[in-house]
Amino acid sequence: MKEFELFFGPNHPGMHGNFSVHLRVDGDTVVKAKPVPGFLHRGFEKLMERRLWIQNLALIPRICVPEPDINEMVYAMAVEKIAGIEVPEKAHWIRTLILELGRIAAHLFSIGGIGGATGLYTFPYWATADRDSVLDIFEHISGARIYHMYIIIGGVRKDLPEGIDSLIRETMDYLESRIPEYIDLVMKNRIIQTRLRGKLVLTREMCEEMCITGVGLRATGVDYDIRKYDPYAAYEWVDFDIPVGEDGDAFTRGYLKLLEIQQSIRIIRQVLDKMPKKGPVNVKLPGNALKWRIPPGEAYAHVESSRGEYGYYVVSTGETTPYRVHVRGASYPQGLYGIEKYLPGTRIEDVPLWLGTMDVCPPEIDR
Amino acid sequence: MNLKELISELKNKYRVLDEKFNDPNHTFVSIVPDQLHAALGELKSYGWKHLSTISCVDWIDDNEFELVYHLWNWDSRSQISLKTRISRSNPHFPTIMHIFPTAKYYERDIHEFFGVEFDGNSEMEPLFLEFWDDIPPMRKDFDPLKYSREKFGERDYKVPFADFIVEEGDQK
Repeated sequence: MKEFELFFGPNHPGMHGNFSVHLRVDGDTVVKAKPVPGFLHRGFEKLMERRLWIQNLALIPRICVPEPDINEMVYAMAVEKIAGIEVPEKAHWIRTLILELGRIAAHLFSIGGIGGATGLYTFPYWATADRDSVLDIFEHISGARIYHMYIIIGGVRKDLPEGIDSLIRETMDYLESRIPEYIDLVMKNRIIQTRLRGKLVLTREMCEEMCITGVGLRATGVDYDIRKYDPYAAYEWVDFDIPVGEDGDAFTRGYLKLLEIQQSIRIIRQVLDKMPKKGPVNVKLPGNALKWRIPPGEAYAHVESSRGEYGYYVVSTGETTPYRVHVRGASYPQGLYGIEKYLPGTRIEDVPLWLGTMDVCPPEIDR
Repeated sequence: MNLKELISELKNKYRVLDEKFNDPNHTFVSIVPDQLHAALGELKSYGWKHLSTISCVDWIDDNEFELVYHLWNWDSRSQISLKTRISRSNPHFPTIMHIFPTAKYYERDIHEFFGVEFDGNSEMEPLFLEFWDDIPPMRKDFDPLKYSREKFGERDYKVPFADFIVEEGDQK
């Protein structure tokens, strides 16, 4: 049969975000796939070299749109490592709370996307509406819904507002009550079962070859999660499980995300219970923030984002601006190498499932 | 074997120029360029199977590029970043695709933004930047402000209906 070239994205209903995959298809089967990023390249790494250490805090959340807090966290962690700053205990707890709220929001957005790719449109509506309840909490805490700029070098910007405790608990109760409904509506749904089960199966060897982390790797039977394996913030002091799947298919990855939301709710409740009521939430760096100089050094910090390992490599030469910042986007391996290597052989309708369940996030690939 | 013992073993086998611990589980090791591949392969066999990313730093004053290979070991829960420096005037370095296939795109990224040629990596065409016509943009001697001024020029902004705008204080 004659082969055709199909430009899958950036304007395609199955594509989420500004990203494109150029496919060569034989009928419905993908013969060759070529990732085409760059639609969202804004030159963050270069910009950061030309901005003050404090100015970068407003810049970095924009690198990843669905889950911005990890950027602030990992940047702060890297700078704190270089400068040897000890973060107060309460700040660790608040950071954990923010990161887990962010994880819930990102997971809801991402599993909602599966509904868009499969034609089950109730799912994205539900998920986006529920995500909004998490954004409400963010608005109360930081004043912003999407880009919070709340985690700063040395702690967090401000203490939590009074009365936020009950709002978070209510929202968590609500979200927890929604999970059985999601399982009923989505995971037991015939469409999802037919379209996701046994599709885009990855083995552990394939994941190791691609250096994939996150849900994609955990769906193959290992519990590799940086929150457990290289704990940061307050993750050492809370009790949670890492959901692990066996099949490695798209369905398992989607299901694991729902289970991870459950674990995040569990973590958030513990944070609210165990967090010290009083105490400082940040340490002030000496001098004027516009003249901060971070001592010379380098550090690589990484955290577990909703999509896997998210890392920053920061080099300082003792100036008022960073010398070099390199962002390791969590979806780099599956979004570029994975698409090229493992999409051929699948069908056209599986392509959006790869992007949805493997969490390909174009802004963090392009930077 | 903990990380300190491993580093001392690496020191016996390879020409390690420098080592620095950020904390007991995170370390940076500088190594000579021609031994980097052997060291990477050996570390992979010890369990450093996860290549987080490859970074490049432009040390323009030393006329050198520094390539940093960030490796992570899930079993021993430790990170090693192997660093090596190559000349900036004719930057060439052999690919590590035969050790870590996923390095293909990281190398392509560095080639695009720094102009380092990776010998053995077949695909080196631009990935992010379309119609790029200057030196690689992440190099320190590239000035984005100058580039955009030359490329796009100063625009002449004219405010329509400027005569009708009432300044503050003029209101009567």
